[in-house]
Amino acid sequence: MEETKWEPKVVGFLCHWCSYAGADLTGSARMEYPHNIRIIRVPCSGRIDPMFILRALQNGLDGVLVSGCHPGDCHYQSGNFHARRKFAVTRKLLEYVGIEPERVQFSWVAASEGPKMAQVVKEFVEGVRKVGPNRLFKDEIRDGE
Amino acid sequence: MENRLKEEARKLLKEGKVDYIVGYGNGTVKFRTSPLITNKEEDIESLVINPFIANNLSRYPTEIKGKLGIVVKGCDSRSLVSLMQDNKVNRDDMVILGVPCEGVVDIKKLGEQIGADIDQAKEIDKEGDNLIVQMDGSKKTVPFRDVIFDKCFGCEYPTPLEYDILLGSEVSPRIEIEKSLKKIKEFEDTDAPERWRYWKEQFSKCIRCYACRNVCPACFCERCFVDVNIPQWITTYGSWQDNLVFQLIRTLHVAGRCSDCGECERSCPVGIPLRSLQRKMVEEVKGLFNHETGVDKDAFPVFTHYEATDPEEFIK
Repeated sequence: MEETKWEPKVVGFLCHWCSYAGADLTGSARMEYPHNIRIIRVPCSGRIDPMFILRALQNGLDGVLVSGCHPGDCHYQSGNFHARRKFAVTRKLLEYVGIEPERVQFSWVAASEGPKMAQVVKEFVEGVRKVGPNRLFKDEIRDGE
Repeated sequence: MENRLKEEARKLLKEGKVDYIVGYGNGTVKFRTSPLITNKEEDIESLVINPFIANNLSRYPTEIKGKLGIVVKGCDSRSLVSLMQDNKVNRDDMVILGVPCEGVVDIKKLGEQIGADIDQAKEIDKEGDNLIVQMDGSKKTVPFRDVIFDKCFGCEYPTPLEYDILLGSEVSPRIEIEKSLKKIKEFEDTDAPERWRYWKEQFSKCIRCYACRNVCPACFCERCFVDVNIPQWITTYGSWQDNLVFQLIRTLHVAGRCSDCGECERSCPVGIPLRSLQRKMVEEVKGLFNHETGVDKDAFPVFTHYEATDPEEFIK
């Protein structure tokens, strides 16, 4: 059988008010960005539990992108400020236990920043491509299996 | 100190200022102590204070109803203050009996030092900076500093920060942060795949007994995320993947609330170095948000609060 080339598969948690609209704009302006990303819309970046990130990685996704409104622009006033604190320690902990920092990325993308969204996704997918497929949570395959 | 404690505890019960005394009693195994929770005056005689009082009793105020007279060491008092910040306990419901702490003896380390199981020791006394261990026909002197927990080396607050009655004179901090963080620094110097392999190996041992969660004063959720079954975040059987994710999320939940009391690691029946995770978070929270657990009673819990100037260089 012909070996298929590995393509990264990443998930993007985008906040409804800014980043999701930003991604929408990217599409309607017919800008291209890698199709490796699967977008999940969430109400706010503050909705993102570190658990989502870990579960995504555990289930074999190669990377997780979390994107929300710029500080000060949050629809819920302070959601992204709280998220920022949460992400700061989450990132440190994941790096500490040995998860490649390239796999998890946070960004601020506003609803008007279509080109930025394309850029962020492009860079992120390239970063994930460099670190390769996510085998972190795979059991080692024993001989004979 | 012990006599003073008994005297104060008896007085508190007699005067009806507290419903229960939460202190330390002798454990069923020699030289180990276990929590002693009582409302009877005759039990007061069994209270002890010695270099083996490892338990963090601030676990109990969230679980016992009524007024408590509670015995705390430096680190325990910070756990307690952290619970006050989270509105989990009411300061007025407690009479805090502070024990200035010179460090707690790690039974494992002591066993290594005397080269025998400590059950074989007849008596252990602290004299000055040494621990005198009476064995069958022999006597061994062990420097006290060699047998205390790693966490005790970095203890900046050995005297409780919050108390009503201080049972002894204040102890000056013994700061040897390097010694306390040695394990973590060494671990950080290894490369990422090596670190991941290490934790994978460690969490393959985990039997998911939840001792780490149950012993932790900062783990006060009424329903833990591992017990939630809709949606089920973590499966109930112990695969290393789930064990690791469980512990990482727990680490994040108690980040900013952890006073580095080291109970998670001490209680772990399979010896996973959990403190390496928790202590790392203590350092990060301090570095990122300049927040120390339980130092300021009026401070906000770190993740319910934010500053406009919080670090965000990692966000693109």
